[in-house]
Amino acid sequence: MEKFFNRKVTVTLKYIVVAFTSALLLMLIMSSFAKREYAISGFLTIGLIAIAVTYLTNYSIPMKFFLPGMFFLFAFVVGPILYTVAMSTFHYETGNYISKPDAISRILATGVRPDPNQTTFDIIIGEDSSKNLEILASDPTNKVYFLSTASTKTDLDPATVAVDGNGDATIAPGFHALTPDQQTALDQQIATTRFVYSSAFFITIEGSNVASLKSQTLKYNSSNDTFVNVQTGAVYKDNGVGNYANLTNKTDFLQPGWRAPIWFSNYAKLFTDPQIRKPLIQVFIWTMVFATLTVLTQFALGLLVAMIMNRKLFGRRIYRSIFILPYAMPSIMSILIWGGMFDTEFGAINHLFGSHVPWFQNAFYARAAVIIVNLWLGFPYFYLITSGALQAIPAELSEAAAIDGASNRQIFRKITLPLLLQVVSPLLVASFAFNFNNFNIIYLLTGGGPTNTLGGAVAGSTDILISYTYKIAFGAGTQNLGLASAISVVIFFIIASISLYGIRRSRVLDSFK
Amino acid sequence: MIQSKFGKVAALTLTAGLMSGFVSAPVHAASKTIIVWADETRGPHLQQVIAAKGDWVPGYTIKIVPFSSFAALDTAFGNATALTGPDIVVGANDWVPTGAKEGKLAPVTLSSSVRAQFTANNFFDLSYKGVLYGVPLDVNNVAMIYNSKLTSKPGTFAQMVNFYLANKTADKLTAGLCVAGGGMSWGAESVLSALGGAPYIMSASGAVDPSSDPLPAATVAANVSKYLLAKNGKSNGFFPATDTGCKTAFLAGTVPYAIIGNWEWQDYANAGFDMNLMPVPGILHGQNGAAFASVSGALLTVYAAAHGVDQGAKSLLNNFFGSAAGAVAYQNVELRPPANKKAQKDASVTAAQKGFGKAGAVAGVPQIGAILNGAPGGKAFWDLLPAFWTDVLVNGKSPLTSAQAMDTFFKANVAAGIPQL
Amino acid sequence: MKRWLKEDLWRHAVALVISFFVLFPIYLVFLSALSPTGSLQVTSFIPKSISFRNFHLLFTSPAIPYLDWMKNSIVIAGTIAVLSVVIGAASAFAFSRLRFKGKKQGLQLLLLVQMFPAILSLSAVYVIMERVYSFAPRIGLGTEPGLLLVYLGGAMGVNIWLLKGFVDSIPIELDEAAKVDGASAVQTYWLIFVPLAAPVLAVVSLLSFIGTFNEFILARLFLVDQHSRTIAVGLQGFISGQYATNWGPFAAGSIIASIPLVAIFLSLQRYIISGLTAGSVKG
Repeated sequence: MEKFFNRKVTVTLKYIVVAFTSALLLMLIMSSFAKREYAISGFLTIGLIAIAVTYLTNYSIPMKFFLPGMFFLFAFVVGPILYTVAMSTFHYETGNYISKPDAISRILATGVRPDPNQTTFDIIIGEDSSKNLEILASDPTNKVYFLSTASTKTDLDPATVAVDGNGDATIAPGFHALTPDQQTALDQQIATTRFVYSSAFFITIEGSNVASLKSQTLKYNSSNDTFVNVQTGAVYKDNGVGNYANLTNKTDFLQPGWRAPIWFSNYAKLFTDPQIRKPLIQVFIWTMVFATLTVLTQFALGLLVAMIMNRKLFGRRIYRSIFILPYAMPSIMSILIWGGMFDTEFGAINHLFGSHVPWFQNAFYARAAVIIVNLWLGFPYFYLITSGALQAIPAELSEAAAIDGASNRQIFRKITLPLLLQVVSPLLVASFAFNFNNFNIIYLLTGGGPTNTLGGAVAGSTDILISYTYKIAFGAGTQNLGLASAISVVIFFIIASISLYGIRRSRVLDSFK
Repeated sequence: MIQSKFGKVAALTLTAGLMSGFVSAPVHAASKTIIVWADETRGPHLQQVIAAKGDWVPGYTIKIVPFSSFAALDTAFGNATALTGPDIVVGANDWVPTGAKEGKLAPVTLSSSVRAQFTANNFFDLSYKGVLYGVPLDVNNVAMIYNSKLTSKPGTFAQMVNFYLANKTADKLTAGLCVAGGGMSWGAESVLSALGGAPYIMSASGAVDPSSDPLPAATVAANVSKYLLAKNGKSNGFFPATDTGCKTAFLAGTVPYAIIGNWEWQDYANAGFDMNLMPVPGILHGQNGAAFASVSGALLTVYAAAHGVDQGAKSLLNNFFGSAAGAVAYQNVELRPPANKKAQKDASVTAAQKGFGKAGAVAGVPQIGAILNGAPGGKAFWDLLPAFWTDVLVNGKSPLTSAQAMDTFFKANVAAGIPQL
Repeated sequence: MKRWLKEDLWRHAVALVISFFVLFPIYLVFLSALSPTGSLQVTSFIPKSISFRNFHLLFTSPAIPYLDWMKNSIVIAGTIAVLSVVIGAASAFAFSRLRFKGKKQGLQLLLLVQMFPAILSLSAVYVIMERVYSFAPRIGLGTEPGLLLVYLGGAMGVNIWLLKGFVDSIPIELDEAAKVDGASAVQTYWLIFVPLAAPVLAVVSLLSFIGTFNEFILARLFLVDQHSRTIAVGLQGFISGQYATNWGPFAAGSIIASIPLVAIFLSLQRYIISGLTAGSVKG
């Protein structure tokens, strides 16, 4: 052993690992910097410096252990959390999704409207004699032919134009058609050039052989940051919350808008808007009930099984193999199967009991179903833990109590359970926190439903905070990432304070002082 | 000591960096590739079509990216930016308002010959505030199929109910009419419509009529009580409130009528069923329950311009998605009713595809997302109708109260939706 | 005999009821996988006919590259199982054994970070990895290494927390003895702790393996290409598709996917029990 860990070998090995990691980081730093991803580049640089300082000096021994884990934790857990916190201060929802410069260019693009007749021309894309982009346009129905560039338009005499079977012009004086590959290379230029047509209209290319007549209905004035509708004369100004709104009619605004900083408005809405507050309270209560019931039922059944199996029982090995099956099987699959089993009309459960319980249509039954399925999924974990813990409780303790005349029940309540709880309480806290955010079971089993929509409910009766937040952020219809982020932050503070209180009381962290 | 440590490591770093330079040297994707995102059925089929003939747009390579599910595609497109986003996304028509508001979709102008291939309704589906964002691809609708081994073609809703009640026990029927495709809102719309309700009323001119009551609560409630409920106010079992298991039950011969989606008719054909397709019959002879007939579209994104393939992507829309040849090639594998008029008539389009097309023509209503998706802070039709079925058929609530509640929401949605059109 | 009746009979009765509860859904999976129509609709709990069509489909249909999915899942989950424990164990050791400023705060932070409703980080992670893709296309969005990096970050919190429990259970006298011998913290870690903790490390990596195996929200965003999907994404696609639910292939696929996991679990069950409880029962 000692020889294997020869100091020289290990030190060299360490240098090689450190060097390779640094090399990789250095490369990423350079390429990210080149792509102007300064935030990422900066994060990686800090990582690089931290590696050098940590592994090449003895500045901090603990850091040698923490650094790799911290790197990933910060990059993919803490970083996104901070991003979420930042999002919560923005007007960030469907309609206000992009940056302001992007929104301006989008508005300008949608402000380019086809002419009322939606005129299109068959075209050939080419160049004029001085290599300017030029189109040879034909309107075979009206026998109109012309050449157009970004600066001039030359009408062609229909009588002299050579046409193909469709009646489209094929050649024109001074015009050279571009090959497909040449067109591909010029894609951007082709797509953005405005070819001359008349004073009111211009032509844009809409495909390799089609162009259409357009006019610009919205104009942007950068000096005072306003849009003007050329046809109606309406002026649109930045309304401070991410849209250009009509000066005379505040409800008329241009889309898309942009994500504008609105600071604490999302948070304020949580408390002042009853439409948001009411469902949130309902969901919060159910989340607490769900997480608590889940932990209690899983623990209780796990303990029961452990106690049953805590003696030489015929077929114990077989039982044990059966009992850990739910733990070993991919839970995503088990949840989906349970979902099918609970179906009211055709499900196996109603069939088995000859019942007609509307499992997923009725709030109470749906909640019961969620708890039952979660019990199935989670009790093996507590069975494994408590059975180990039970074995670790010295038999002398209960024997002594039995001699003193204590009943089995008394022994369990006064000796076994307290000892057990002392051991498993950190795991109970962890399990509570896990189930508080147990997205998969809700998403895959009930999707949060049923929702008493006709009664005016917004949230489903089995929605927990995380599935509800997911719906707000990514669900159908209007998605509000800003509000969802604000809810996430608030949820976090609530659960964090509950947990910290729980931790203080159970003294889970005492040993770390 | 430290000095030398740093020295050694720096030297090593340098060599390692040079050696591993190739590991993550940026590889630039072929710059002139048009990237098309699609869902789990359309994606692989488009891939197949493009693999067979890839030169729809000379000078560009076409790459189809099929997602594992519609939901995955939806989330990915929701998160996409110009860095990795698609140039064209094949999506539902209700993505258009969202995509336009989020500045993800780019306006499209089609050539007059391509425009002539589609109906005004098709374009309406893919437009937001008068701007078109894509090319109609396939028609989405449902139709009712009946099992001719059990029953004959029903003329009215009552005939179906009577058949079910009379043969329930003898034929071991699990339900009378159930929704196998499209879900309890989109798919079940025709049942609500057969019973006298709708999310909005279209006037003769083809616009939404703001003044008509979409859901005459008393009528609908009376019909629900008469046809769907037993004397005791509970469901008579004719129409289940969920869609799970419906398809299997129909295939197993325990449900005589089912509403099926046009994307899965082959499963029924393969199981030996004749394509007895029809709209859901209404209360009176000759009436039909209206079903949504919307189109999905190939939508142009703003990323095409960012990727420098804007003009190529537009050409793909015109040359492939908008052309009869493209639509036929695609629908021969996708097997839905094509939106393209010429393709609809093409000989290679199957009878079932045409059957769905016909059902859509007889009883199709446009699917207007601005109304159906609900007023801001209100309720979407998609949530309201399933809740209505549940309340009435499962939880035993009064059909009248439930219908009145739903009517109020429908009216609010119409009022809020019309200015958005 | 009387004692047997009194002590064991009720145990068997309860155990049988719970066994039924556990096995019922699993039996239905088999029923559905072997039924020719492949549905979860139950007309009878005894199969009328048995068909291997669903299994056959998994290995022959070109639209279902099942073996690729399986391979991807095993590679990804396996890599995470190893790396997350290698990295996590070091942190756990430091939290358990070393004295330093801010240790309690660090642990609390670790616990709290796990409680943050991480579902919205979906957006953030997507944005970050998209940017990474722009300068390092092989480790960014849409790549397996990219997904691995993200998973690695996500696994840290849980694993450090779990592992710390296990480390606490290893008698401190052992490393104190080493300290007396003049070993540094790093040496103690490698020479004393790692060999001792090997069983628990194995258990935690097994748990990571299962956790990663089950993840589908990120995986379906990251690994889009049909051949690069994981089994969870592929299976979920069968039944949560917009257009069709295929319980038959889903059930058949689930059974095959479960076999390796269940096999590992059953063969290592004693080991797992001792490993799991080591964390909670302080020595």
